[in-house]
Amino acid sequence: MSVAELKERHMAATQTVNDLREKLKQKRLQLLDTDVSGYAKRQGKSPVTFGPTDLVCCRILQGHTGKVYSLDWTPEKNRIVSASQDGRLIVWNALTSQKTHAIKLPCAWVMTCAFSPSGQSVACGGLDSACSIFNLNSPIDKDGIHPVSRMLSGHKGYVSSCQYVPDEDTHLITSSGDQTCVLWDITTGLRTSVFGGEFQSGHTADVLSVSISSSNPKLFVSGSCDTTARLWDTRVASRAQRTFHGHESDVNTVKFFPDGNRFGTGSDDGSCRLFDIRTGHQLQVYNQPHGDGDIPHVTSMAFSISGRLLFVGYSNGDCYVWDTLLAKVVLNLGSVQNSHEGRISCLGLSADGSALCTGSWDTNLKIWAFGGHRSVV
Amino acid sequence: GSLCSRNKHYSQADDEENTQTAEIERRIEQETKADKHIQKLLLLGAGDSGKSTIFKQIKLLFQTGFDEAELKNYIPVIHANVYQTIKILHDGSKELAQNELEASKYLLSAENKEIGEKLSEIGGRLDYPRLTKDLVQDIEALWKDPAIQETLLRGNELQVPDCAHYFMENLERFSDIHYIPTKEDVLFARIRTTGVVEIQFSPVGENKKSGEVYRLFDVGGQRNERRKWIHLFEGVTAVIFCAAISEYDQTLFEDERKNRMMETKELFEWVLKQPCFEKTSFMLFLNKFDIFEQKVLKVPLNTCEWFKDYQSVSTGKQEIEHAYEFVKKKFEESYFQCTAPDRVDRVFKIYRTTALDQKLVKKTFKLVDETLRRRNLFEAGLL
Repeated sequence: MSVAELKERHMAATQTVNDLREKLKQKRLQLLDTDVSGYAKRQGKSPVTFGPTDLVCCRILQGHTGKVYSLDWTPEKNRIVSASQDGRLIVWNALTSQKTHAIKLPCAWVMTCAFSPSGQSVACGGLDSACSIFNLNSPIDKDGIHPVSRMLSGHKGYVSSCQYVPDEDTHLITSSGDQTCVLWDITTGLRTSVFGGEFQSGHTADVLSVSISSSNPKLFVSGSCDTTARLWDTRVASRAQRTFHGHESDVNTVKFFPDGNRFGTGSDDGSCRLFDIRTGHQLQVYNQPHGDGDIPHVTSMAFSISGRLLFVGYSNGDCYVWDTLLAKVVLNLGSVQNSHEGRISCLGLSADGSALCTGSWDTNLKIWAFGGHRSVV
Repeated sequence: GSLCSRNKHYSQADDEENTQTAEIERRIEQETKADKHIQKLLLLGAGDSGKSTIFKQIKLLFQTGFDEAELKNYIPVIHANVYQTIKILHDGSKELAQNELEASKYLLSAENKEIGEKLSEIGGRLDYPRLTKDLVQDIEALWKDPAIQETLLRGNELQVPDCAHYFMENLERFSDIHYIPTKEDVLFARIRTTGVVEIQFSPVGENKKSGEVYRLFDVGGQRNERRKWIHLFEGVTAVIFCAAISEYDQTLFEDERKNRMMETKELFEWVLKQPCFEKTSFMLFLNKFDIFEQKVLKVPLNTCEWFKDYQSVSTGKQEIEHAYEFVKKKFEESYFQCTAPDRVDRVFKIYRTTALDQKLVKKTFKLVDETLRRRNLFEAGLL
């Protein structure tokens, strides 16, 4: 077969795929008779209300000398690890705001970090296209350098996010600018599975984020510059279980809903969406209308323990608290006292759900705690 | 909850933690202070613009260079380059023989056909065999085939590397069992960098004390969405942007319909517009001047859409200069269009370079050093 013929056939096949995709979309729209907020309103639900002291900034974690890019809580013990453009990881005691570790990285261009389930190790990745593991108990040498305990290399593009498999200090999933996600065995330093890539039905652009289901740790979702999110089963690396369309730009962040049946996505198109993994339907769009000008990008998101609240960080410094049922913004941490002065780049909830930590390009991290007598939602 | 409670109970654990924190803060302060004296340079440019060659030159010029072990590491790279080059040429001739009007001139001679298939198969492998005398004989036979030489003339369409000639003329030496790559071999070797590489150097070799310390970063290995990581480099002293000016008639490796110079223009303008580089100085290297010089008399500059209003005025050296000045002017226009009027104070300099020419690279970096030092003094209020 000649090159021209091949090209023709390729074009025809692409056209067919696009037509089918469009048909599918139309069918979905037809079936979608309501969204979460429409239904909740009809049921007479009213939005959560927040008083001025219900969620307040009670700690400022200062010490980074560059933009903060990522943060993660320990499952226990209230420790936070943060990664910054200054080329450092800092481990904080969230209760006292004290620093327990500062790790100067061999490659300064770090973009993501994660705490291991046991709290003994931290992982980070970035432009070096590798994921480095540091054991927090290993002693630092005389130059103040913390030794790398394991380098996970094999990605062919930057490592955009990493998350430990729940309850396993030995396994971790990374996403990368090389369009793949990888499940790693930290003990051996080898790849257990690669999700996507050249010959597989994976993402067709940089993968930016992963989230592992806490109710079924075999499932994870990924978000990508190809504007889609994909659901994967770690036992079946050969293809994605499902592809979720809807966003109009890069999907920067994905997060499983606490019940494991849904997940949220946040995008450069300014919106967050809620998808159902069983039906593949988009259940809700969370989008605050903006005037002309630039639409702020969604950078990061986290659900409250019950799932009723969704905390979302934006590139313009806003940090909305959404009521997920009614799709209403009930609080903006970007316009209260003590708010950040730059892009919110990352955020996360403590394991017991009682505090939120936000990280910003203003070099600081802030801890927001639920005050008063409100029961945690 | 416990996070907001203010009544602290002091204990020994708290004291320990306070000491730890104080020690960490002292170290961070120390490191930050030391880091301040290092000027950071970011190397950007489209693929094949000569970034890695610049990088290697700096290693040779301002550092100790490559030791024997490092040189030996390049043997498999150079051998791979040989196989890749001959495969591109062989497969290219095959495609041209199928689709072109004067197809016959791209047809390999009968005796070389089998050799060609064999070499093409080797070139497609993930692991390459060591280059032996026998393989060299095959490669040389194929290289001398008129069809391959005809194909080479179409190199601009086929992604044939600039260094094809160099590789083919040195096969004998490369295959010697005692072969140790020379500096020049290393400069010609093409390796796809992964991730990010950095090098620290001081351009004034003789009296190191007066020299500024630079750290240069090459992110050529990131072939993905730059917008997702470029902001990590906010605050670098300067961006060194490499543009291969000889590529005005070539198409992209990834997309054979797209002209490389247009791609470079788009990238240049995109980088200039990034909010994270609003205050960053720009050093534009108009690179591969040696190839440009040879090409411009044969292939008209207005082949490229960006230069379509170019008119040649004379011949020989004068014409080369005229063409170069035209290209330079285009980049200048582009710079001023993409720089907000209130940001014209960032430094912008253009240098004519040939990354393979060691003396020229050395001279260029001395000039860059002077410019940046002057800039520092100016900012410190001393000038």
